[in-house]
Amino acid sequence: MGVRTLAVWCPDWPVTAAGHGRDEAVAVLAKGRVVACSEAARAEGVAPGLRRRQAESRCSGLAVVDDDPARDARAFEPVVASVEAAAPTVEILTPGLCALPARGPARYYGSEPAAVTWITEAVERTTGPGGCRVGIAEGSWAASQAARRAVIVEPGSGPTERFLARLPVDVLDDPDLTDHFRRLGLRLLGDVAALPAASVLERFGPSGARAHRLASGRDERPHLPRVPPEDLAVSMGFDPPADRLDTVLFAARQLAAELAVHLDERVLGCTVLAIEAETAGGRMLVRRWRHEDGLTPQALSERVRWQVEAWLLRGGEDGAGVPGGLARLRLIPELVHPERGRQLGFWGASAADELVAGALVRMQGMLGAEAVATATLVGGRTPSARVRVTPWGATPPEGECVSTGTGRGGKAGVRGPRAPERPAWPGRIPPPSPATVYAEPPGVALLDGAGAPVTVDVRGHPSGAPAILRAAGMAPADVGAWAGPWPADERWWDPAARCRRVRMQVLTLGGEAHLLAFDGDRWLLEATYD
Amino acid sequence: MANDRLLPAVPGLAGLLPDGGLRRGSTIAVSGGVEGGGGTSLALAVAAGPSGAGSWCAAIGAPPLGLVAASEMGIALERFPLIRAGGRAWVRTVAAALEAFDVIMAWPVRGVSIEEARRLTALGRERGAVLVTCGPGWPERTDLRLEAVRSEWIGLERGHGRLRARRIEVAVGGRGAASVERRTALWLPSPEGRIEAAPETGFIAPAVIDAGLDAAFAGISDDDTVAVTAG
Repeated sequence: MGVRTLAVWCPDWPVTAAGHGRDEAVAVLAKGRVVACSEAARAEGVAPGLRRRQAESRCSGLAVVDDDPARDARAFEPVVASVEAAAPTVEILTPGLCALPARGPARYYGSEPAAVTWITEAVERTTGPGGCRVGIAEGSWAASQAARRAVIVEPGSGPTERFLARLPVDVLDDPDLTDHFRRLGLRLLGDVAALPAASVLERFGPSGARAHRLASGRDERPHLPRVPPEDLAVSMGFDPPADRLDTVLFAARQLAAELAVHLDERVLGCTVLAIEAETAGGRMLVRRWRHEDGLTPQALSERVRWQVEAWLLRGGEDGAGVPGGLARLRLIPELVHPERGRQLGFWGASAADELVAGALVRMQGMLGAEAVATATLVGGRTPSARVRVTPWGATPPEGECVSTGTGRGGKAGVRGPRAPERPAWPGRIPPPSPATVYAEPPGVALLDGAGAPVTVDVRGHPSGAPAILRAAGMAPADVGAWAGPWPADERWWDPAARCRRVRMQVLTLGGEAHLLAFDGDRWLLEATYD
Repeated sequence: MANDRLLPAVPGLAGLLPDGGLRRGSTIAVSGGVEGGGGTSLALAVAAGPSGAGSWCAAIGAPPLGLVAASEMGIALERFPLIRAGGRAWVRTVAAALEAFDVIMAWPVRGVSIEEARRLTALGRERGAVLVTCGPGWPERTDLRLEAVRSEWIGLERGHGRLRARRIEVAVGGRGAASVERRTALWLPSPEGRIEAAPETGFIAPAVIDAGLDAAFAGISDDDTVAVTAG
C-alpha cells in the first residue's frame, strides 16, 4: 500500500490553461478529437473522444482550441507554486494534477481536513473559486481519484481499497481496455481487482496488469531511498547566464538525453524527476515531476522542456521572472526503480532485439505466458537437470545463469561453440549430450539374452548383459552396445528429494542411442541421442 | 547484425550447402532417417551457425529438445526461445516469428495446408527469414532438403566405453543448385566435439570399430604400451 498522499486536481485544466472560464463552452482538441471540455460544454453533451464535428453539432457556439501540453504545464506553474507555499515537496503528476505526502501538512495544520482547507484556499487564490479539488488517500493514484471527488478517504489500506472498488472502470483512462472490461461485465474497479492478477496479465497484457494493480490500490512503486545510490544527476552551467529560451531549451534537451542514457545503462526507470535551476541571482528553483510507470526518455525530455518554459515564460514563483536568466540547470532522478517490465532496449539493443521482444510478447498474448520460454544452463548431472526453463520476461534464476543478456548483440560472437563449462559435477554424463531429453521419462523394458529383465544391484552391478530394449511405441530393438551402469546418488543430503539412480548408455543395432536410468525397480528412457 | 543475404553456417555444414550458408528468405526441410535418427541434431546444427553469430532463432512446437546439446553445438540459449504452439495457433505463431526472427525452427503440426505453407514461405521470403521445417508434416517442397540418412555412433562398446562421436550421412537435395541430390558425411559431433566434414570413405563397419576403437580413442598411450612391449 502506498504512502498517504494528498492530491490537488484542477478540473478541466486544459480549458483553464487556454484562458477560458468554466462557464464558456470550450473544447480542447488533439488530432481532431476532443480531449477536454469546459463544464458548460459538458452540459450540452460534449465529451472527450468526440470528433470535432460531432462536438460542434451537439453544442452550438462551441469555441475550439488546440491541445498544447506545454501551455498547460506553463499555466500550472503558479498553481504548483501556491501549493508549495502551503506545503513543501510537491510532485507534479501531469499538468492539472499534483500530489504531496499528506503527513506533513496534516500535522502542520492540525488535521487532514484542516490541511485540505488550507491548501484549497491557497490554490483558489491563484485559480479563482472552485478552481481546484483536493483529496487524500493511500497512494498517489488513489489520491488523484479522491481529489476528483474531493473526498478524504479514511486512513489504512482497507478504506482505500473499498473506495477504489466502487469506482467505474472508466477512471482507468484507457478506452480500449475499459471497453473490453465492460463487455465482460466488469463495470467497477472492484470487479477487476477480484480477478487473479496472473489471469488479467495473460488476457490483457501489460495494460491489463497495470489496471489490476491500480484497481487493487497498489499503484505505488516500493518506496526506495529518496536519494538514489549513485549520483545520477546531470547538470549544465551557463556562463554567462542564459536568458534566451532557445539556448536553455537546447541545453535542456541535451541534459535530458544524457540522463536517459545514464538510466538505461543502469537498467533504472525514473519515477520522480527533480528539475532544478539556479538563477543568475543565486535563487534555486525546483520542481518535481512524478510518473508511476516511469518516465520514458521522450516523456523525460518533454517534462524538462515544459518546466523550463514555465519558468522562463511565466516568470518564476512570485511573478518576478528569472532576472538575468539561468546560471545552472540540473536534472536529478530522485526516485528510481529497477526496470523489470522492459528488459529489452538497454545496452543499446539492436532493432532486431526490439522486434523479437515485440513478437515474443505477442505470442505470449496468443499462447499464454508459459508457452514462450528461454533456457539457461545451470549446474547438474543429467541433461534435464542442467537446464532451467523460464517464461519469457520472467527473471531467470539468480546467480546461476551466466549469460542472460538478451541485448548484447555486440558481444554475440564472443561466446564460441563451446561455452566455458560450469563447475564440474562428479558423475555428470559427459558430452556429447542427447538432442532429445524427455520431460517425463517413459518407462522401458531392458531384457538380457535370456529374456529376463536387467536389474542393478546395490553395488551397481547389472544382473546381465542387456540384449533387448522394448519401449512403448517402438519395435523391440536389439542392443548392440552399452556402457554403465554409472551410479549417481543425487541429493543424498535431503531425504525427501534423494534419488538413487544408475544410468546407462545403450546403442541399438539400428543405430539409435539412448540414455536409460534405473531407479530401483524399473528403467526409464531419459534421453535419446538422435 | 549483418543484413547480408547469407546467414553463416557452422564450418562443417557450410560445405554441404549450395550457397555455403543459409540463404535469407529460403526454406529448409530437415529430417531424420530410419537408421539411428539424427534429424534433431542436424536441425540444431543448422541453427547453430546463425545463432552463434548473433541471430535470434526460435523453436516452435519442438519435441523436448536437449538444450545442453544445443548449447554444445553452438546455439546461444539466450537468443533461442522455445515456443509451445499446437493446433490452429501453430500457423499464426510461425507467421509472428517470421516477422522478427532470423531463423525459425518449426516442427509442423498435423494438418498444415498447402496454402498455409505457401503463405508462410512467402512471408519468410519477404522478411528475409530462414524457415527450417523439422520432421514430417510440411506439405510444400522446400528450397533445400537435408536428410540424415544414416547415423553411426562410435565409442560405445559392449559393457564399456561411452558415446563419443557420430558420423552421420546427410542427403542434400532441393531446388536450383541443390537439385542434384548429393550425399556427404558429417561428424556430428566429432571426437573433439566439433561439427565437421567426415572423410568420404564410407562408414566404418562395426567390426572395424570393435578392433580399432581403442587405438583411435585411447590413442597414443596404447601405442606406447605396444612399443614398450615390442622393445
